[in-house]
Amino acid sequence: VAKILIVDDSNMLRDMLKYALVDGGYSDVTEAVDGVDALEKANASQFDLVITDINMPNMDGFELIQELRKLNNYKNSPLLVLTTERSDEMKGKGKSAGATGWIVKPFLPDQLIQAVSMVLNKK
Amino acid sequence: VSGFDINMYREMFAEEAEELFDTLDNVLLEAEEQGDLSDEQMIELFRAMHTLKGSGSSVELQFMTKLAHKTEDFMDKLRNHEIAYQAEMASLLIDCTDTLKELLEMEMDDSCDEDTFQSKTSHLMSQLETYLSGNAPAPAAPAEEPAAAAEPEPVAQESAAPAEEATDSSNFGLFTDDTPSDGDEGTIFGFFNDSSKAPTKVTATVADDGGAFGFFNTTPRESELKAEEVSEAPTPKPAAPAPAPAPKAAPAPAAKPVEQKAAPKPAAPAPTPAPKAAAAPAAKPTGGSAVKKPGAAGAEGGDRKAASKSAASNTIRVNLTKIDALMNNVGELVITNAMLSQFATSISDQKVQDSIMERLELLTRHIRELQESIMSIRMVPMENIYSKFPKVIRDIAKKLNKKVEFKHFGDNVEIDKAMIEGLTDPLMHIIRNSMDHGLEMPEERKESGKPETGTITIAAEQSNGQIIISIKDDGKGINIDTVVNKAITKGVITEDKLSSMTDEDKAMLIFEAGLSTAEAITDLSGRGVGMDVVKTNINKLGGVVRIDTKPTIGTTITFVLPLTLAILDGLDVAVGDTRYILPLNAIVESLQPKADMIKRIGDGGNELLMLREEFIPIVRLYKLFNEEPKYSEPTEGMLIVVKSGNHKVAMFVDEFLDQHQVVVKPLDKNFRNVQGVGAATVRGDGTIGLILDVMGLIEEQKRVEEFKRQAKSVA
Repeated sequence: VAKILIVDDSNMLRDMLKYALVDGGYSDVTEAVDGVDALEKANASQFDLVITDINMPNMDGFELIQELRKLNNYKNSPLLVLTTERSDEMKGKGKSAGATGWIVKPFLPDQLIQAVSMVLNKK
Repeated sequence: VSGFDINMYREMFAEEAEELFDTLDNVLLEAEEQGDLSDEQMIELFRAMHTLKGSGSSVELQFMTKLAHKTEDFMDKLRNHEIAYQAEMASLLIDCTDTLKELLEMEMDDSCDEDTFQSKTSHLMSQLETYLSGNAPAPAAPAEEPAAAAEPEPVAQESAAPAEEATDSSNFGLFTDDTPSDGDEGTIFGFFNDSSKAPTKVTATVADDGGAFGFFNTTPRESELKAEEVSEAPTPKPAAPAPAPAPKAAPAPAAKPVEQKAAPKPAAPAPTPAPKAAAAPAAKPTGGSAVKKPGAAGAEGGDRKAASKSAASNTIRVNLTKIDALMNNVGELVITNAMLSQFATSISDQKVQDSIMERLELLTRHIRELQESIMSIRMVPMENIYSKFPKVIRDIAKKLNKKVEFKHFGDNVEIDKAMIEGLTDPLMHIIRNSMDHGLEMPEERKESGKPETGTITIAAEQSNGQIIISIKDDGKGINIDTVVNKAITKGVITEDKLSSMTDEDKAMLIFEAGLSTAEAITDLSGRGVGMDVVKTNINKLGGVVRIDTKPTIGTTITFVLPLTLAILDGLDVAVGDTRYILPLNAIVESLQPKADMIKRIGDGGNELLMLREEFIPIVRLYKLFNEEPKYSEPTEGMLIVVKSGNHKVAMFVDEFLDQHQVVVKPLDKNFRNVQGVGAATVRGDGTIGLILDVMGLIEEQKRVEEFKRQAKSVA
């Protein structure tokens, strides 16, 4: 099973994400509360996919992705951002940070799973 | 697929929202005070509002989300300095926050509809809109940035891109690159395609109405986009790469502006800046499996950091009910332990008995330690309560045109979480009351040589196993004569009783029912809650209220509360064949009276104990509880003087027995409320013990007296 790291400062959203992932067969889910926490966890073990919120204290999602891309282990890993908007601004930032894709929240569990399986299969 | 239990998440959200609201309130209050908003504060506001919106929409709170969205837009512009901050904005934003709280509450119990929403928010929305349109040129303005950010990519090669496909209502699909805009309302998912790898697989996306997902392609070469190729065809297969060589990124199906811009320059800004609206409805959970969240979720989940910088915070969040359950288990353990101890005393072999008792004592100690550890989990710092006050105080001060400074001490003093709920309202009420009646108007204060700004100080400390919370104002103090006069006219006290009352007793009269002064029923102190309810609530928490007031100097109201509601030290008293438990903290003293200490008044129905110049009504418990007593004269049995607030009574019981710790089990949950009995416990021998409610007994005694008096006057 793919190892997935989810990063969000909201308990609730982490719970929802995790629920949807576990329900969709991705049972190996690790949680982090912000970019700093995520980076630590990403350093400690290798994840196949990182899904991160954008707005978080300490280190936001874009910064996290930039940092991850600097690591050899995550150069090519799929990194998804969770966003509430579809704006070009978001997309521009996401792309320049090095993110693989984005998922708009609120999301349907099915959509999330599809997106996840797609990026994982793509590899 | 999965069945989210949306209500569970809503509750989690409500909890998180409370913290976010606190943040918003506090930042906005500061801003209001300073008349300015720092960049940092703006970012903080935006972040909180953004999270409210994002999480709120995830749990389908559409109305709250709508207002949050608009407010967030506004904050976003503030943050980016597209709108200049003006001092009066704080007030508008505070109103927005208040309304958000209200909407959340209503939506949580499904009592919000479109009309309510409109009536509650239309003025706020239009004010926000005015700022938004007035100061910001056009909603489309931000569109430049994305263009800049996106690498210039040649629109290219379609060959590389097998289209990945839109699922059913295409909530999902892929973007090649910078597809400038997916169809606005469309996609929920996308790729930022990194060219370095996987050049070949770029994808096209769907974008019709509901895509929740997409890719960005950064690869210059791989992406391409042709506007005409709208992949709107609902191909049934979800994520399967489409075999067709050609289809590529398709921006919004019908968006003409996209076509134009997209072709020459993929990174072109989306013409439609705000496609988000469509996302919300899409969030309905599908499927119906009623599964609650899997055990796994949340197991490791609780990391949550306080505002500290360090990421790895070592805390977890636990639902209070789990702790309650744990506490309950320990309660059972205490009872089982008591049973064992009792059984052990019946072991005839003294040697065996001794060694068992010795070990049992050890067990008792461990259980107590366990209890204490669990108690400490339940404790939360007072600052959780304090944080709610600045906002309330500001609102009231505004309404009253008074100037108030709020000070608080003992932020780190810990208090049982279960008590917070019961404590917040009384504190709120006292604060309102102090501001309304205690603090003078600024001019008046100035004239009497005080600073114009009044002060409300709340302090909390822990001592002797009690929590002491005091609320102090530097206002004009309570006019005791006015209170006393009112009390007499309302029949709350009699003139002759007055002579034996201390000043504190007299001031305490403000906590009697029916004594609130006329102004107290304004909308401020209002809400139908009188000071009497404050006292009742504090008594319910096992606490007492004290008051100290000095003319022109101010008033201090003090709550003395037990540390916890879950366990108490009790004294067993025997009344006939029954044993009752008296809370130890209510007991003042106990004695066997001499005959000359008992005075009878009236027709002899009322008995008083004369104790050091003080007359204390005697309550014959056996009468109240209809027991057959061993003794019918106080001189034969025992009198236990108990106190609740300023009232003392002497309980007449046959004898008192041992003292021990009992686990409190609420009566109303297991049986029903009984006047005079506060709760129950299970004793070591498995029988039920009733814990007397001293306050209730005093009330009952007063009621009986009153009844007698009326009966007499009728006769």
